[in-house]
Formats: sequence, C-alpha cells, structure tokens
Amino acid sequence: MSVNPGRRRFLGGAAAAGVAASSMNMDILKAESLSNELKKNGKRVLLLWLAGGASQLETWDPKPGRLTGGPYQAIQTSLPGVQISELMPKMATRLHNTALIRSLNTQIGDHGGGARLMHLGRRDEPNLKYPDMGSVLARELGRPDLQVPDYVSFYTATEGRGNAVGQPGFLGARYAPMFLTTDNKPAHLSRLEDITDLDHKERADLRQLLSNRFAKGRVSESLGSHNVAYGRVRGLMSSEKLFDLSDEPQKIKDRYGNSLFAQQAMVARRLVEAGTPFVKVARAWWDSHGQNFETHLELVTELDHVMSTLLDDLEERGLLEDTLVITLAEFGRTPTINASLGRDHFARAWSASLTGCGIKGGTVFGATDEDGQHVKDNEIGAAELFATIYKAVGIDPHHEYFVGSRPIPLVDPGTHAIDEVLA
Amino acid sequence: MKKLSLLIAVLMIPSLIHAQELLPPDTSLQDAVDHYIDAEQATGNIKSAEQVDDYVLIRRTMLDLVGRIPTIAEVQAYVADEDPEKRVKLVDRLMAQPEFTEQLAYDLNNILAPAGKADLEAYLADALAANKGWDTMFADMIYGNYDEEMPKQAMQFVNLRINDIDNLTNATSALFFGVNISCAKCHDHPLVSEWTQAHFYGMKSFFNRSFSNGDFVAERAYGEIKYATTSGEQLDARLMFLTGSVIEEPEPVVLDDEAKKKEKADFEQLKKDKKPAPAPEFSRRAQLIEIALRENDREYFSKNIVNRMWHRIFGFGLVMPLDQMHPENPPSHPDLIDWLARDTYTNGYNIPRLIRGMVLSNTYSQSSRYDGEKRPAKFWFASASVKPLSPRQYAAALAIAARNPSHWEDENEAESRIRNEVNAHRGWANKFAVPNEEFQVSVDEALLFSNDNAFKDKIRVANDRLAGELAKLETNEALVQRAIQAVYSRLASAEEIEAISAYLEARSDRREDAISQIVWALMTSSELRFNH
Repeated sequence: MSVNPGRRRFLGGAAAAGVAASSMNMDILKAESLSNELKKNGKRVLLLWLAGGASQLETWDPKPGRLTGGPYQAIQTSLPGVQISELMPKMATRLHNTALIRSLNTQIGDHGGGARLMHLGRRDEPNLKYPDMGSVLARELGRPDLQVPDYVSFYTATEGRGNAVGQPGFLGARYAPMFLTTDNKPAHLSRLEDITDLDHKERADLRQLLSNRFAKGRVSESLGSHNVAYGRVRGLMSSEKLFDLSDEPQKIKDRYGNSLFAQQAMVARRLVEAGTPFVKVARAWWDSHGQNFETHLELVTELDHVMSTLLDDLEERGLLEDTLVITLAEFGRTPTINASLGRDHFARAWSASLTGCGIKGGTVFGATDEDGQHVKDNEIGAAELFATIYKAVGIDPHHEYFVGSRPIPLVDPGTHAIDEVLA
Repeated sequence: MKKLSLLIAVLMIPSLIHAQELLPPDTSLQDAVDHYIDAEQATGNIKSAEQVDDYVLIRRTMLDLVGRIPTIAEVQAYVADEDPEKRVKLVDRLMAQPEFTEQLAYDLNNILAPAGKADLEAYLADALAANKGWDTMFADMIYGNYDEEMPKQAMQFVNLRINDIDNLTNATSALFFGVNISCAKCHDHPLVSEWTQAHFYGMKSFFNRSFSNGDFVAERAYGEIKYATTSGEQLDARLMFLTGSVIEEPEPVVLDDEAKKKEKADFEQLKKDKKPAPAPEFSRRAQLIEIALRENDREYFSKNIVNRMWHRIFGFGLVMPLDQMHPENPPSHPDLIDWLARDTYTNGYNIPRLIRGMVLSNTYSQSSRYDGEKRPAKFWFASASVKPLSPRQYAAALAIAARNPSHWEDENEAESRIRNEVNAHRGWANKFAVPNEEFQVSVDEALLFSNDNAFKDKIRVANDRLAGELAKLETNEALVQRAIQAVYSRLASAEEIEAISAYLEARSDRREDAISQIVWALMTSSELRFNH
C-alpha cells in the first residue's frame, strides 16, 4: 500500500488526501490484514524492567568458583544441566515455561543510551522518532473494542526514570503510554467528587454533540484524534478498578506480598487479564557500582519471589500461554568485581529471560565464556531480541510501517528472531 | 472516457504551466498566491470552499499572528467596522504587536531546537524584533559566535548537536534545506538518485572540524572525513553542498606536535576565560553559509523557508513531507514555490513579509468547511486546514475564554489585561504536546480536562469567570449566545441554543453546576482546540 508522494497528483482527490495526510493510513490495509486475526487471540506482553542494570551473574548466568563469580553459589534448576543463581530458588523450580538468553551483546554501556536501545530495539535516528516496544505492541495487539488502556508503564523510583523511554514516535499519541510515577493509579482517572457520574457522562455527550457539529464538513487527522481521545475517557475511567487492589482476594495478596514491586505486578496481572496488551513494571535501582552483593541479595530475592508468584498466578488463570513475561534491563554488570565490591556497567555479555506466550520453555540460548567476559555462543543484539519478542506474540518482525514513502521495518533489516526459543 | 481525458489533463498541464514565465516580481504576494492556487485548481476542475465571514477570519488571523483568540469586544468591533481596508489594517496592526514576533520565535524554536528545548527562542525573538532576515539568522545560528556581540543562544542550534556531527548534519539539511539525507549516510539514497553518500559526507564536512569548547563552538583548520561505500571502497569526502557544488579549499593546515600542543592549550585557555575561539582563516562553517545563499545554490534554502512558513499558515506544505524536498517529490505548485522563493530572496528573506502576503490571500480566507460532494485533496488548497493549536495558543485560548468577558471591555485596559492573563497561563502550555506534521491528541489531555482540579477551577461559577457571568444572565438564549461568543468568537446557532437550553432545563435543580458543565463542554470541544 506504499504510495510514492511524488505520484499523488495522479490520484483521485479523496484517496490522495489520505495519502498525504497520514503515513499510517498508507499502512492500514496491510496492518489490518496482519493483525485482525492476531488481535482476536488476545496476546499480551508484561515487561519487568530491571532499571539500572541487573547482574547476569547473580541471576541467570552464574559463574560459581571463578574469580568473577562472587560469593553466591549456583543451584540446579528443573532443567537438566542448567544452573542459575542461588538467589533465585523459586525460579529454579519453574524454568519449564522460560527461555533464558545468555548471549546479549548490546554494546551501549551508559544508562541513557542503553535504556533507549533496549526500549526501541535499535539506535536512534535524528529525524525519525521510533516507537518503543510498548507502543508497537499497543498498536499491533490492542483492541479498540476493549475499554482498557493499551499501554501502562509503572516507574515509581526516580533513579533512571528519564531513561525509561515510553514514546509512540511516528505511530502517534494514540499509542503513548499511561506513565505512572507517583501512584499505582493513573492521574485523572477518577472523577472529581463534585460532579455526579451522570453529569460527567452527559456533559461529555454535550461536548460530543458540539464537536460533531464542528467536525461536519471538515476533515483532519488531528481533529479525528481529538474526539477519539475524549471518546476513550469514560472507558478508561471504568478501568479504574483494575488499579485498585482492594477487591483482590486476601489469599492472592498474601502470595504477592507487600512490596511496591509486588503490588504493581499484581496490578499488571489484573490489566493483562482485562486485555491490556502491554504493561511495563520497572523496579529500580540495580546500579550496584558498590556493594553489588548486598544490593542483589535484596533485589534478586524480591525478583525471584514476585516473578515466580506472577508466573504461577498467570498460569493458574490460563493466561500464561497468551502472555509473554520478559525480564530485561539496559545492560548487565561486569564480571570483574571492583574495589568497592561492586560491578559496573556491562553490555558485552549479559542475559534476559522470556516466559510464556510463544516461547519454547526450558531452553537456554547462547553462552558466555567461563568468566562471563565474552559471549561464546550465539551472540545476539537488541534487534534479534526484539524480533523474537514480536514473533513470540505472533507479529511478523519484518512487517513494515511507512513514514512518508520510507518503509520502516519493525526491527532493523537483516535481523531475525531466535527460532530456537520460539514454540 | 471523461475520466481518461481528465487524467490526461492533470498529467499534461502542470508541465505546460511550468514552461511559462513566472508572474512579474512586483505582483503582490497575496495576488501571486491566489493566481497560482486558482490556476492549478482550474486544471483539476476543483471548486474551492466559500470565503469565511468576519467572525472566522478575525479568530483565524489573530491565532496565526498573535497566538490567541479575540475577545468578544474585538470580534464585535471588527464585524461592525465598515472600512473596506479593515482586513489589511487588522493584519498590520497585529503584526506590529510584540506577540507577533514572540509567537514566531516560539514556533521557529519548535522547528529548530531539539524536542522540548527552548534554547533558541530568546535569540530568535531578538533577531525578529531587529528585523533580521532569515539568511542573517541562519548565518548567526551556523557561524555566529566568533563575534563577541553575538548572543550565545544563537549558537545553540549547533551547540546542542555538536557532540553528534551526524545529527548536526541531518538537522541542518532537514531544517534549513528541507532535505533529509540521513539514509545516505550508509548507502546512496534508495529513492532519490540525486542523493549519494558523497552528499551526506559532503554536508558533514562543513561541520567535522567544529567542536564544543566550553560555552562556544570552535573550529580547527584541519580534519578530513573518510567513508566507506557499500562495496567497501574508501573515499575522501569533499566539501560538497546538496546541489552537488563542490568548494575548492586550501590544503588543510598541518601542525607538528609542538603546534598541536599549543593549539590545545590556547583552546583550553579560551574555555577557561569563557571566550569564543577565533575562526580559522578558512572556516568550513562560513563556507556553508556562503554556498547555501549563493545565486546558483540558494534554491534549497529559499524554498525551505517558504515551504515551512506556508505549512505554518496553511497547515500543509507545498512540498510534503517538509524534509523531502527532492526531485522525486515535486511541489504541488512548482511555479508558486519558485515565485515565492524569488520574492523572498529579493526581499532580504523577510519572514514577516511572507506571512503577511499569505494571510492576506483569498486562499487563506477560504472556509475549512467543505460542503461539496467530494472534498479535494489537501494539496489543492481548496479549503482551509483545521490546525491544532500550539501549546501556547491553546493555553492563551483557555485563559481568555475562561475569564468573565466583561473583563476585556474597558478599551484602555484591555490590551494589558489580555497580556497579563495570557502570561499568567503560560504554565498551562506545558500540559500539551507541540503539534508535528501528523499530530494526534493524546488521551492524557482528554483525561486532564475531564478530571483535573485546576481546570475545574477555571470553569466554576465565580465573578471573574465566564461561568460566573453566565449565571447572572436572565434567559437561556442570552446565556448560550454569550457563552458561544466568548469561547468560539462567533454567534450561536439556533440548534446550539436549543441543545444547550435543554441541557440547562434538565438541571433546573442545579443550575450553577449545569452552567459550569456547559462551559466545560464548550471549552473542551474541538472548535476551541483547533484553528479553523
């Protein structure tokens, strides 16, 4: 459906207007044929973002007995021959739905650049604003008939928050995240007390009437989006209860525990259950330049508990086969332990995990050398990881958007999904 | 058969027109605009929308020129004015207000500065107030700070990007020349045979010797670029402009270790003293200015500013997208952009002059409503665009509409009161996104207006608020009439009076709440959110 704008003069009026007005329109036929079927399947993605950079050695890729290994041991998992850090005993018994990727080499070792890369799946380009993973998934997996937000992002800590890219880029504000920073409930989702629900609804109806009157005989993409945005307000407000854990059974709350991360994971589960296609929960701050082992004792223990509880909860509800749970950070940490008993930024050989939807559970992809300094087998970058994530939820990673006449594939050209970890 | 002949006509005629001479240079700008737009519409048998009435025209013109909606008093005075020259007088009066250059500087900053940064705004406002041409501003921004008189902000275009020369190269090409050559970094452009890697690295060569030295941008007299083609060949970049013109330059200066050490120390000292470094004898950045404005090479520079200002006023460029001004993507009106480009470089690249001509054209005063059967595509310019307000415009519109309209009625006080009210609401602008070429309103904005306490305060029944004045009116009809005039700058229709009166009557037990809700509905509706 690509149309060269240079040819626009040869097209009929209305068709050409659409072409000129919106690059996304040009893509619509293809996008719909692609996603109609998939959207029915209700696939979702839940990203646990380990902000600041979690250590692969204290999580998915331990090096016990080596100088780089640190004080913690490795434990046997439910998979023959596969060990992870002893800080993750609960995940060790639950790897049957999970694929570990131990061979990321993403090269960018600063928080800002690394986080951008691991959100966008590619490097920035000056004159083109790429959408992040969440916006792509909101667009590809979102269902207009569902009255839930399609991209929710929790980031309560202040450290590194500015790096947590949530940008719809050329997809447009329709796919921007609800970005929650101070509360577990989005701003402006609750009706103010001094207006009744009926008046709130009917004044919106009056607004719609006035706007429709104005829109008559006028055509504009932006104008359309204005009324679409207001049209979503009441629906989104009705999803307010999803952010409120008070009606969650005590038994479930007890399982998750009281930590903020656990509470947000619980809200995330409620959201994906209601159909939200992408939720990100950020846990900060893993940046352990000093006292790496104390930091990781606390954070990995919590991650192990929250992640395993979340996976159990999703599985018991039959949601795991349609929900992909990812753990990811901007980079890993240096195998070499520094003088402050810390580990520094390390993007050359680190790990991520993929669990659930579309994933061949119980697999380990790639390997690092015995000290964890380099990738030994199956090195991949951000683009391959993103291609794998997209493919796992049924999206063709080579699908193209058009910006103007320029085709923009979902992932950088020439990269492919890791079929070894896909079901 | 009819369709076929029409198609042939559309195919043939533009090139025929293009072969003709341009209209004489002394044609007025507005007449030239209308001439070319009308001539093109005739080739497609396009019927344009009706001309707007005074109500729409004053609102549109004020938003475009001074960034706010008119007050009821201003609308009434304009409508009542019987002077046949009143439109020209309005435009000239508005352009003489400080808000004109303020808004223009704000919009230009939104184009030129990286997203969310306001670094260039103060410089641009001063430059426009001093009647600088766009060519001079370009030179200031690219070359500026060798002169100690030059405000440091002028160099922020370069300074904000100096640590990423590829980005600086792309931004300069896209924003000053309307050409996005970023694809050509790694390979010859796939769609545009004219753009090769040599062009990208040629443009990059104008900047590769520049670097950040403290608060200033400094430049060395040496430093070459080598690049690899897709076939692996290593090439030396030449100092080449987008047109393919190459600048012959002196051999790069060669410094021995001693001289390099001294150069480094000199730069360090200047950094410490917070002083700009002197330009090298042969400055590549200065060469860019020279070649970009040179007679045979100025087409990109002059057409880009015309196209960007056209887009700003008409909501759609003569070339779209704005950074794809290349031979494979011809303008919708080649002669018009040629004529305007010639007009602008023969008149000192005077941006206000361009804007004035555009807003005085009949093309500008067409309705944004098109009631005909089939709406012509945007590139025919057969109806006005519906443009989303900029964050500041929207903040100003809300500020003026929410206030008790009698506040603006005192002729002597009105001007300063309006200025104060608009300035007091500048902070609101931070809540909205700067519209780009394909802007969508976010749901956050809709949620904010629906459930925010601060906005609730604007629409409550209180003496200094619109809702407060409305509550004192006797009849529903008077109330609706006043409300529509305050918020939409026009008269209410019978249908609106009926619908809103019905809303009020259904809430006779809570009339004040109902009035506040009506103000909410009016202010959040699209008619206030857009310039139409």
